[in-house]
Amino acid sequence: MMAIQHRMVPYLFVLPAIILLLVFVYGPAVENVIYSLYAWSSMSPDWRFVGFGNYGELFANPIFWTALLNNIVYAVVSVLFQVAFALGLAAVLQAGVFGPRLRSFFRTTLFLPSILPVTVVGLLWQLIHQPTIGLIDQLLYTTGLESLSHVWLGEERTALIAVVMVSQWQWTGYMMALFMVAIAAIPRDLYEALELEGASKLQTFRHLTVPGVRESTLIFTVITIFGAFKVFDIVWVMTAGGPNHASEVLGTHMYRSAFRDDVVGYASAVATVIFFLTISVGYVQLKLQRDHG
Amino acid sequence: MKPRKIASALLISGFSLMALSAQAFAEVTISFLHKWPEPQNLAYFEQAVKAFEASHPNIKVKMEAVADEPYKDKIRVLMASDQVPDVYFSWSGEFGKKFARGGRALDITDAVYGSDWTAVFSEASMGPFKYKDKLYGVPINVDSKYMLYNKKIFADNGIAEPKTFAEFVAACQKLKDAGVTPIAFGNQYPWAAAHYIGDLFGKLVPNATRLADYELSSPADTIYTDPGYVEGLTKFKELNDSGYFNRGSNALSHEIARGSFSAGRTAMMYLELVEFGQLKGTKLEQDGWDFFALPGFPDGKGDQGLLTGAPDGFMVSAKSGHPKEALEFLKFLTSPEQGADYVKMTGMTSAVIGSVTKDTADAATLKGLDVLNKASGLALWIDTDMDARSTEVLLAGSQAILNGTETPEQVMAKVRETALAVKKDRGE
Repeated sequence: MMAIQHRMVPYLFVLPAIILLLVFVYGPAVENVIYSLYAWSSMSPDWRFVGFGNYGELFANPIFWTALLNNIVYAVVSVLFQVAFALGLAAVLQAGVFGPRLRSFFRTTLFLPSILPVTVVGLLWQLIHQPTIGLIDQLLYTTGLESLSHVWLGEERTALIAVVMVSQWQWTGYMMALFMVAIAAIPRDLYEALELEGASKLQTFRHLTVPGVRESTLIFTVITIFGAFKVFDIVWVMTAGGPNHASEVLGTHMYRSAFRDDVVGYASAVATVIFFLTISVGYVQLKLQRDHG
Repeated sequence: MKPRKIASALLISGFSLMALSAQAFAEVTISFLHKWPEPQNLAYFEQAVKAFEASHPNIKVKMEAVADEPYKDKIRVLMASDQVPDVYFSWSGEFGKKFARGGRALDITDAVYGSDWTAVFSEASMGPFKYKDKLYGVPINVDSKYMLYNKKIFADNGIAEPKTFAEFVAACQKLKDAGVTPIAFGNQYPWAAAHYIGDLFGKLVPNATRLADYELSSPADTIYTDPGYVEGLTKFKELNDSGYFNRGSNALSHEIARGSFSAGRTAMMYLELVEFGQLKGTKLEQDGWDFFALPGFPDGKGDQGLLTGAPDGFMVSAKSGHPKEALEFLKFLTSPEQGADYVKMTGMTSAVIGSVTKDTADAATLKGLDVLNKASGLALWIDTDMDARSTEVLLAGSQAILNGTETPEQVMAKVRETALAVKKDRGE
């Protein structure tokens, strides 16, 4: 009796957390899949069972594919900046190229954008991107480079990349700070050993730093990809997915379907697709980690 | 349990029950949601709630205000979670009909027509709140869209108010040739383009056809096939392609565009009657401004006397626990005194007959309301009159037309396709 009770104790400790997860995470996720099998609107209490009809509509909808492609672009650019470039920045700062005060200054200022609320960032950059009166255009005009000017957020070719770059501005410094911690965990004597052997800074980076933070790189890449597939707020604030769906992402497509088109069942289907996409990415990460570790 | 303990437990619960029910009889709280959080407008509603609570001591009003764009989200969330406020704002036309169709709005036909309340509003302002001949909402204001112009710029360039659309285009060309930006236009949220397009549709498509199409009651083989639609979109496209709008309209917000107009940097802007008050104290006021209704076409198949505009109003939740109190509050809000205060404090044109006078409003607002009352009818805001999905397609299409990535024919084809799908979903 006592032995069984003792074995129960750890489970009792995690029970509150599990209940919270079930109620606020797993429960709604399952409910969402059920919702996606019905056609319903927030306006009327009628629900109509349509089975996989919403999914059929989804895969036949060109806007869905545009959004998915945009998310993939988002993911690729984000990994380039928030993983590759951030690692480079972190390595530079950790390599002692700058003195301690300058290093601290750079780390702080590059990190700062990530603590700004997303709506503030969105509005700020919207103003910077404004046609003619925005900072970017003003800069181009005064330096005689008007020919390079575009209506950044209003043209279908530039809207998405403008929003994607704002995300990179916001998060690269944050990832850099995380990488700095990972690099600091590499034993110092390994660096000294390479220095004694006459290795250049670049060689040290390639052969010591990069392999040394391999685990972190994997996790950060996965987190960045997750974020790129779930992105909603920065896009909604800056372009609302426009013009003409050019910057539409799965998040804004889902939101618009639920709160403008009043087809909440279809929106639930989009949400389920996002869920499965991110689960797949997470699964790949787990597999890679297991193979390495 | 000992008998004494039982007795005291019963006594305590008995007293608390009495106290609770006494409170229930004493005080009723109604929830009130509207879309005017701007300080000047909010001040009016705050004083209205205070005045109502003072004259109705047993009713408390819990008010909440959300801005225009977020309101479209909030009301849907509240509907979906069955937390419909007792009194809530609604645009008229299809937007309001959605609530009536979904059983979310209270049928107030008898409450209004069966009392002296009906004398407060004109039939024209109540019509857009009707669904299947029953009334579901009361109007709080009436609004219409006008082409405002800077008098100084017009005078400097020798331009008179155009009487036809062709004259309007000529005036724009003259301004462009003189190096002045003819029209300020911010289409970041594409309802702005929708207002132009809706007006053009009203003037180029036969009225009965247009209304039947919006309502999706037209037969499947003819819905959205009238050539007037493509013609309207083409006219809109031409305004853009001829360079009459400011640069980058798809990335410019309506408010920033209005800023450039009120700073005297552009000649004209298509604005609402309820926005007139925003121009006070600006350079535009110094330069002097006036307005005209967007002119029509001598051979247009629609109604050239239609003015783009609509009433805004309030509805009562069909499941409200306190419909009587909710209606009392609405009646109070639309009383002559409150109507006059509404005009004085917000500058908007109240729907209450007789509230917009020389004492409550300025000359421009009076003239605006006069033109509205003389119009042959109102073409409601198209993005609240068409069904939600077709609207989204038209709005996105308007941005594509401005960018030149889609033609008017392509956009109308997509609208038709969507309308047919919605018709099918509704089982019509």
